[in-house]
Amino acid sequence: MIEVHGLSKSFAEPVLRDVSLTVPRGCLFGLVGPGAAGKSVLLKCLVGLVTPDRGAVTVAGETVTGLDELSLQRVRRRFGMLFQNNALFDYLTVGENIAFPLRRMGVTDEAELAERVADRLRAVSLVGFEARMPSGLSGGQKKRVGVARATVTRAEIVLYDEPAAGLDPVTSQKIFDLLRREQRETNATVIMVSSDIDRLLTVTDRVGLMHRGELLFDGTTDEARSSLHPVVKQFIHGEVEGPL
Amino acid sequence: MSTPDEETLSARVGASAFAVAAQVGGVAILTARLARRLFPPRVDGPELLRNLYKMGVRSLPIVGVTALFVGAIMVVQAGVLIRRFGAEGLLGWGAGFATVREVGPILIALMFSGRVGANNTAELATMTVTEQVDALSTLAIDPLSYLILPRVISMVVMLFILTIFGDVLALVGAAYTGQALLGVNVATFWNGLLEAIRVWDLATGLIKSALFGLIIALSSSHYGLTVTGGAPGVGRAVNASVVASATGVFISDYFSTYVLQ
Ligand SMILES: Nc1ncnc2c1ncn2[C@@H]1O[C@H](COP(=O)(O)OP(=O)(O)OP(=O)(O)O)[C@@H](O)[C@H]1O
Ligand SMILES: [Mg+2]
Repeated sequence: MIEVHGLSKSFAEPVLRDVSLTVPRGCLFGLVGPGAAGKSVLLKCLVGLVTPDRGAVTVAGETVTGLDELSLQRVRRRFGMLFQNNALFDYLTVGENIAFPLRRMGVTDEAELAERVADRLRAVSLVGFEARMPSGLSGGQKKRVGVARATVTRAEIVLYDEPAAGLDPVTSQKIFDLLRREQRETNATVIMVSSDIDRLLTVTDRVGLMHRGELLFDGTTDEARSSLHPVVKQFIHGEVEGPL
Repeated sequence: MSTPDEETLSARVGASAFAVAAQVGGVAILTARLARRLFPPRVDGPELLRNLYKMGVRSLPIVGVTALFVGAIMVVQAGVLIRRFGAEGLLGWGAGFATVREVGPILIALMFSGRVGANNTAELATMTVTEQVDALSTLAIDPLSYLILPRVISMVVMLFILTIFGDVLALVGAAYTGQALLGVNVATFWNGLLEAIRVWDLATGLIKSALFGLIIALSSSHYGLTVTGGAPGVGRAVNASVVASATGVFISDYFSTYVLQ
C-alpha cells in the first residue's frame, strides 16, 4: 500500500538517509526511534508535505513524489493525519475542527455532521466539547481532538504522529485500543509514531526503528521484541546501557 | 585595495540587496500562483465573505478617525494661504484636491496596513508555524484558494470601499474645520470643491487605493506563509510585512502618480 524507496532528505544536515520501507494494506505499522530521528519528516514525505531530495514514495501504486498540486490533492484524499502538535484550526470550535474533513468530503447534512462529531467525541471521551475553542483545552484534550479529527473520515490510510503524547497511562491505552479497533474495522493501513513503546507494541503488526535518519530495523512486533541488534534491543527495552 | 570596513560594508549592501530581491521574487511567485487560481476562479466563498466582513468592519473606526483628521489637517495647512490671500473660494479645491488624489488614499492605506495587513501576517504566520496550513493541505485543500485568495480579494475590495468612505469623511472634516477655524462657509467649501475637482481626480485616488490594497495583501500574505522559526518568527514576519507594505505603497504611489496624471 505504501512503498518508500531510497528516500533521502537534508535540511541543514541529513535527516533521512536512504530510507526504504513497505507497509502492506491493512497493516498497523509502529514507527519508533529516539528524538530527531526523522520520524515526523518521514510521515510528511508520505503525504507530500516535504519533498525528498532523492527517492520515491508510492501510495497504492501511484508515485507521490513529484506530483503537481492537483494530483497531490487527489492522493491526499486517501489519507487521515494526526500532526505531532495536533495542528488544530484555532479559529474553529472543536466540533467544527472535527467536522471539517467531512465537510471537505461533501457531507452537508448538518444532522449527520453533528452525529458523527458527537460519535468521535464519545470515542475520545470528550462528550459535550463541541462548542469549545482549541485554545481553551489542555494538551491532552487537544491531542484527543486531533485524534478525533484524524479518524472522522475513516480514511484508508492514517498517519498518527504521537497519538498518545501527553496522555495519562489509562487514556493512552484507551486511545491505542480505539485506534487498533477502528483500524481492524476499516482494514486501514496505519503508520503510528509513538514514544510510548510498551503500549504501542500491544497494537502493532510491524515495527520500524529509525535512528539518525536511517531505518535500522523493520520487522514484526515479535521480531522487534526479540531482536539482538544492539540499538533495537536497547531502545525497545528501554535500557540505559548500550550504544544509544 | 579596499579596507576591511569597506569590504564588510559592500558585503552587507550586497547581502541586503539580495535579500530584498528574494522577497520581491517571492511576492511575484505568489502573485503568479494566485493568478492561476483566478482562471477559472477557485475561491472559497464562505471564507471570502468572512474576510470581507471581518476586514471591513474592523477597519471602519480607525479609517473614520484617520479620514476626519486628514481633512482637518489639510484645511489647517491650506488656511495660512487662504487667510493671506483672502481666497476663501479656493479652500475646497486646495484641501479637497490633495485629499482625494493623494493624502487620503495613502494614509488610509497605511492605517489599513497596520490594522488588517499586520493582522493578516500574524494569522497566517501562526497557522504556518503551528502546521495548520500543512493540515489544510493534507485535507486536500489548496491553501492558496482557501486561505490566501479570499484574503487578497477582500483586502483589495475593502481598501477600495474604505477609501471612498474615507474620502467622504475627510471632505466633511475639511468643510467643518474650514468653517470653525477659518470662517469659510460650508457651502463655499463645497462650491469651490465641486467646481474644481473632476471625476478623474476621484478615480485616480481610488485606482491607487486598489493598487495599495493589492500590495498590502500580497506582501502580508507572503510574509505570513514564508515565516520560519516558531513564535519569535511570527513577530519578525509581522514587522517585515508592515515595513514592506509601507515601502511598496510609497514606491507604487510615486509611479502611479506619474502614470495617472
Ligand atoms: N522544516 C524543517 N527545517 C529544518 N530542519 C527540520 C525541519 N523539520 C525537521 N527538521 C530536522 O529534522 C530532524 C528530524 O526531525 P523530526 O521531526 O522528523 O524528528 P522526530 O523523529 O519526529 O523526533 P521527535 O520524536 O522528537 O518528534 C531534526 O533534527 C529537525 O531539527
Ligand atoms: Mg516527531
